[in-house]
Amino acid sequence: MPHLKIACYSLAALFAFAFGGCAPSTAAKPETAPKSAGTPAAGGSSQGQGEGQRGSGSESSTAPGSLEALQKGQSSATSASSPLKDVFFEFDRYDLLTDARETLKVNADWLKRNPTARIEIEGHCDSRGTNEYNLALGAKRAQAAKDYLANLGIPSERLSTISYGAEIPVCKEQNESCWSQNRRARFVVIAGKPAS
Amino acid sequence: MIARIVSIVCFLILSTRPALAQFKGEIIGQGGQKFPIAVSPLNNTGTAPDSGKLSEGIADAIVHDLDLSGWFKVLDRSAYIEQPQRSGITLGTFDFHDWSTIGAEGLVKGGFSVQGEDITVELRLFDVFQNKERIGKRYVGRLKDFRRIAHKFADEIINEFTGIPGIFNTRITYVSTSGGRFKEIHVSHLDGSEKFQVTNNHTINLSPSWTPDGKSILYTSYKDRSPNLYLFELYSGKEVKLSSKTGRYLGGKVSPDGQYVAATVETAGNTNLYLLDRSGNVVRRLTEDPGIEVSPSWSPDGRQLVFVSDRSGSPQLYIMDLASGKSRRLTYSGNYNTAPEWSPKGDKIAYTGRVGNRFAIFTIGSEGGEARKVTSESSDSEDPTWSPDGRFIAFSSNRGGRYQLYVMQASGENQRRLTGSGGDDTKPNWSPRLD
Repeated sequence: MPHLKIACYSLAALFAFAFGGCAPSTAAKPETAPKSAGTPAAGGSSQGQGEGQRGSGSESSTAPGSLEALQKGQSSATSASSPLKDVFFEFDRYDLLTDARETLKVNADWLKRNPTARIEIEGHCDSRGTNEYNLALGAKRAQAAKDYLANLGIPSERLSTISYGAEIPVCKEQNESCWSQNRRARFVVIAGKPAS
Repeated sequence: MIARIVSIVCFLILSTRPALAQFKGEIIGQGGQKFPIAVSPLNNTGTAPDSGKLSEGIADAIVHDLDLSGWFKVLDRSAYIEQPQRSGITLGTFDFHDWSTIGAEGLVKGGFSVQGEDITVELRLFDVFQNKERIGKRYVGRLKDFRRIAHKFADEIINEFTGIPGIFNTRITYVSTSGGRFKEIHVSHLDGSEKFQVTNNHTINLSPSWTPDGKSILYTSYKDRSPNLYLFELYSGKEVKLSSKTGRYLGGKVSPDGQYVAATVETAGNTNLYLLDRSGNVVRRLTEDPGIEVSPSWSPDGRQLVFVSDRSGSPQLYIMDLASGKSRRLTYSGNYNTAPEWSPKGDKIAYTGRVGNRFAIFTIGSEGGEARKVTSESSDSEDPTWSPDGRFIAFSSNRGGRYQLYVMQASGENQRRLTGSGGDDTKPNWSPRLD
């Protein structure tokens, strides 16, 4: 599907342009992405990420879910400017790493500032292994993120989950850098207007 | 909207086959080699010209099958001495010497005649060494189904040699991205003909499997946004969405008696196995585990399920006895064993296992023991499915770049590519024998 890849790159370029050249991070390693997401304080402005200036969440709230993005031929990669960051997992694991917990705290803060927002947590896996097992693994990952957010005080009625297994990767090459970007939980705003 | 499968009926008019027990058993030519056989282009015995290239087309379909079986060495047509239109197809009307000279020990000859939309095909198998006829059959069918007639005769040849009919009138259902970025369910005859698309909903469709009667396909789809099971009837185009009040149905397999579905059901992140009826109502919950329990496959007698569980910390195969509800662990080597498929004979289970950073097909006895790796880990081979006679395994592999479907003998020998759609072809499931 070469056309999809082109769409992915052009979308990344668009974000890079729109948000003053901050790294689009579609190719960034997941180890670094959660860390950068973990830096902002509870106030919400994220130090040069551009999110505060542009109206936090407006981008996120319009970002479609991964299945819708697939249907539209768009990338389902979470943009660098999104206030809700992906969390990443190890191969065949669904326990939350330290970075993932930090990211979830930031996501929880945003959800507290935007109390009407409801989100769907998508569980994703890398392409290796069996589809059905990966569907189950993705469900575990989404649920682990949901449980953590609930423990941080987000009402579970605002949190739904869906697993896409290995079916909607953001990166399609067959190497660890790519696989690690696909082993993720993604957060999509499905209803409610962001408060800030 | 969806192409229907039209069943053909081939009438067996004539059988002159003498029972020859010494021919049965292993198909081995002289010196332990593959059995050398020639398949002559057919003689056009009718008055209509062979506009559809049936003379070679029927022979080609038989050659495809014999080659796919791995038991025969089909002699190259360019070496044939005899001109098919200048010789007969019955004993005494051709010279066996023309065939023994080129090394053939077996010989397939035949004739056909076209009458409008119909075709009559007569096919015979000869033993070149003994100058005897082994099988003689005449088939009448629709002209467009001439390949099926050829496959029926190939099944007869396998039966003559082994006592068990071949599996060449079967289909494979699989997932393909050939139409673009979406995963859709497809069906193809084993020879690659009669392809059609079961789904065209532009979402993600997964894990198709045949019902035991070969009339319907059960599959998982995101077409209603979240994953669920659907049962699609090929002949009528009718579809049932399995109702899922309990949780999300991620996958399933219809029981050998056709009455139940063993399903993977997700509730609050946990996946467990349930027994459903064909409408999707829960009959019984089968596992109570906080981990991952997926991919049930029925034993042929319907009394047991092999499935995947990560209860030990990594995905491994377990076998559950449905009457007692008790499970035993089957695989102990490797840290990623998934996608089990119980063989039709019941003695083996094929599955996908991780070897380093690659995936390979393994088989293991259903009572346990040593697992046997049957594909190389120089590429990834996944998702095994058994032929209805248990002698072959189809699977998907990326050895050619993209994922395509392959077939091999259950031992791993004679691996042949089945598809090349241009997209990724995965998750094959082999139909039962079809008429």
